[in-house]
Amino acid sequence: MIDRVQLREIDWVLIGLLLVNSVIGILLIYSSSHYQNGNFYVKQIIWLLISLGVLFLVLSIDYKLLVGFSPYLYVLFLLLLGGLLIFGRVISGAKSWIHLAIIGGQPSELAKVVVLLVLARIFSEFQRTYLSLEFAALSGAVVFVPVAVIAVQPDLGTAVCFLPLLLASFLLAGMNRKTLALLLIITVVSGFVGWNFFLKDYQKQRLTTLVNPGQDPRGSGYHVLQSKIAIGSGGLAGKGFKKGTQIQLRFLPARHTDFIFSVLGEEFGFLGVFIVLLTYFSLLARIFRSVGKSRDRAGMYIVFMAACLLTFQFLFNVMMIVGLFPITGIPIPLLSYGGSSLLTTFVAVGLVVNVKMRRFVNV
Amino acid sequence: MRDSPIYEDVSHLLTRSRVVFILIEVLFIFVAFYYWKTQILDYKKYWNQSEANRTREVIVPAPRAVLTDRGGSVVLANNIASFKASIIRENSKNFEDSCRKISLLLGLEEEVLKQRIEKYRSLPLFKPIVVKDNLTLEDVALIEGRKMDLPELVIETEPKRFYPFANLAAHVLGYIQELTPDELRTTFKDRRLGEMVGKTGIENSYEARMAGVDGKIVEVVDSLGRKRDELDRIEPQQRPKLSLAIDYDLQAKAEELLAGKEGAIVALDAKTGGVMALASYPTYDPNKFVNRFTPEEWMALANNPDTPLVNRALQGQYSPGSIFKLVMAAAALDSRTITDQTTFFCGGVIEIYGRPFHCWSEPGHGTLNFYEAIRQSCNVYFYNIGRRMNIDAIAGYAEQLGLGKRTGIDIPGEKEGLVPSTGWKQRTQKTAWYPGETISVAIGQGPLQVTPVQVAAMTALIANRGRKVRPHVLLDAAPFTETTKIPAAIFEQVIEGMWRSANAGGTGQAAKVEAFDVCSKTGSTQWIGRETAERLGGALKKTHSWFTGFAPRNDPQVVVTVLIEFGGMGGATAAPMAGQIFKLYKTKYHDRQSPTPRN
Repeated sequence: MIDRVQLREIDWVLIGLLLVNSVIGILLIYSSSHYQNGNFYVKQIIWLLISLGVLFLVLSIDYKLLVGFSPYLYVLFLLLLGGLLIFGRVISGAKSWIHLAIIGGQPSELAKVVVLLVLARIFSEFQRTYLSLEFAALSGAVVFVPVAVIAVQPDLGTAVCFLPLLLASFLLAGMNRKTLALLLIITVVSGFVGWNFFLKDYQKQRLTTLVNPGQDPRGSGYHVLQSKIAIGSGGLAGKGFKKGTQIQLRFLPARHTDFIFSVLGEEFGFLGVFIVLLTYFSLLARIFRSVGKSRDRAGMYIVFMAACLLTFQFLFNVMMIVGLFPITGIPIPLLSYGGSSLLTTFVAVGLVVNVKMRRFVNV
Repeated sequence: MRDSPIYEDVSHLLTRSRVVFILIEVLFIFVAFYYWKTQILDYKKYWNQSEANRTREVIVPAPRAVLTDRGGSVVLANNIASFKASIIRENSKNFEDSCRKISLLLGLEEEVLKQRIEKYRSLPLFKPIVVKDNLTLEDVALIEGRKMDLPELVIETEPKRFYPFANLAAHVLGYIQELTPDELRTTFKDRRLGEMVGKTGIENSYEARMAGVDGKIVEVVDSLGRKRDELDRIEPQQRPKLSLAIDYDLQAKAEELLAGKEGAIVALDAKTGGVMALASYPTYDPNKFVNRFTPEEWMALANNPDTPLVNRALQGQYSPGSIFKLVMAAAALDSRTITDQTTFFCGGVIEIYGRPFHCWSEPGHGTLNFYEAIRQSCNVYFYNIGRRMNIDAIAGYAEQLGLGKRTGIDIPGEKEGLVPSTGWKQRTQKTAWYPGETISVAIGQGPLQVTPVQVAAMTALIANRGRKVRPHVLLDAAPFTETTKIPAAIFEQVIEGMWRSANAGGTGQAAKVEAFDVCSKTGSTQWIGRETAERLGGALKKTHSWFTGFAPRNDPQVVVTVLIEFGGMGGATAAPMAGQIFKLYKTKYHDRQSPTPRN
């Protein structure tokens, strides 16, 4: 399936940036969890190898084929998520885990890529300058169904990550004032309905804590406070690898997952933060620049949505851990511990490389 | 177009993508600035917070100084290790849940537990709050066993004051209690809430020499408050042990004699004023105070009608009765009102100022001189002296002998007693002094009030032929040199009378000890007027029973004063008790030819 031209066009720099950020992640995971049970960094290394393999598997299949198959994948994943809701076990408060022989995974993570492909398929047919209502409604429905199922699990963090896909596709399709106004109204109304009928108390509390984290330092404000203390006390150069007191003495919660960037802040200081901001930015910038290196609409949508998905998660997380956003279970792709998240990111970036390597028409 | 997508015009899509990317660049710059602000500008603030998070200062209380008796070998107060259970609120995953579990485990009521925790709400994070002290070893084992389950419950050890002989010398030693917030603001500014300080007795008067310097440990703790490391450690310092003038055997004997009665016994080292025994009954166990009373226990003790907390030896003010004849005797001789050869006739009653005054002996003592008057404690002889002296002169002598003012003993709470004078009557009752009242004062009745320790100090003064001593409990208390203006020869004559009292069949003969030359004076005082007592009948006719004396006559070593409330005649009740003390002293110190105890 891959010919020599395509092989030559594989974006090794992008894959290299992917690996660099993943290795940084593993170092931070090691520092934040080496003293407790679970061997998280070992599992992450295994997942990295698996993900790398899957990435090359993704490269071997023409993305147009995947886009074509995406509706079937979509239905398959909906069934899987629905089944989990009914039969799944509760892990950290949510029925979002599927248990395989060795390691468990969250299909809701991988569902992001499936939705991405379906949206790409829908919008590849769309050739007008501005988004039309039918397309908006159709793509909205495609995103809403899995989001609803995942939100009920309840895994708000993962559910929220589907929205940038929709937003990205809308942005690329273009919005005139009328659709923009309509979108705003829908956002406000759904926000109101969600707050009053769907958000659980602890989720609401996290939102109110954002406004004033000091009001309840041992309650829901605790996580933000400890995270800010960790980051702030890192100073310019940090406390050193494995020497962060907030981490090693376990004041920082969810150290190897949601708060992995706080680990970076405490142990490597502002310099470390700055360097990782640069490496991560380089990765995102390279994906964004790839938007123009696609031979069709579907490819552009795939690359753009993948870029927006990763950017959204990264920025949301680094702002959430310093108290700019409410604490929601959104990990940083590549850096945070989590096999499904790592795999999903590799698949998404794999699609980007896939699109890029097949930009020259030689069929 | 549809068939050849490559020619599609997608430039507007690219433009949109670039706009979004610019937005993202701006966001990245914003994030970088925000982290710069947090990590560089606010660095100090967060650094301090992270240090406060990870370190914990633990105070290591210093044990109080050890107290021994005068020999140095009998320990009257020391410290033992005590275990207490404390809760660290921050370690509790579910506060309600752990309150329930802990109350079950320690057998506390859940409400009481919560109230206690609420009381210390303002303590800094991770400060343990004591929920139960004086744990038994079983309790400790039980808590240790649940360590994994209840990380919020920790066991701390602290030195606890312990009085090995419980009641023994309780009124001398005093007791310690938790500081009140009031004391924290005034007397003990440098101490902490919850610390124990001496409330009375030696524990209070020598607080500065008892309380050690607390130590401190700076620990590194993890988020569960578990100790991970130690950064600094300052050991607590205990102050050197203090020896008291108390003699264990005399003290134990005194308390044994008092058991079941209400009263006080004071034994002084005649030469120095060192308190060899000071007992007050009923008494209490000072260990109870250390263990933090329950409110019920405290009310029971404080409201006990027998007032066990009152130190009768220096807070009980009694009419001196015939004991006061010693003052009258010295006063009469020194003022040359009489000489030792002056005689008066006692017919059992004498009429003065148109009113009969009775002797305690109804048939009377006949004609007697000064020495016989003291020996027999004849009232009529002293009425005659009283008629010839004025009250202010008597008051002057009483004060010279140490009555009407504090002796200065190093136990807090001493009462002054009362020596009446014309000025006093004018001040308090706005009336003139009647000469008839002087007659009552002459035999120790009337408004006169003395404490047993005052009587003991006065007796030591007489024994030393005019040299005053200050009663003191601490063995090495500063010596006291002051002599009265009364010549030694006069005391010699008073002492001759006192010697006869014990050794020539006088009122104090029950205190006589073979070959020890006890000199004594007894007293039996009506605590209400004689007429009233007779009107009320037999039951109330019982008088307070006094004895005071010293021995031996020519080398005074020990003073013994006994007061038994409602004990009856001094010669019958108090004197034999004093005799036993003298006897014990003699066998322990005098017979062995051991050097006289000094300070």
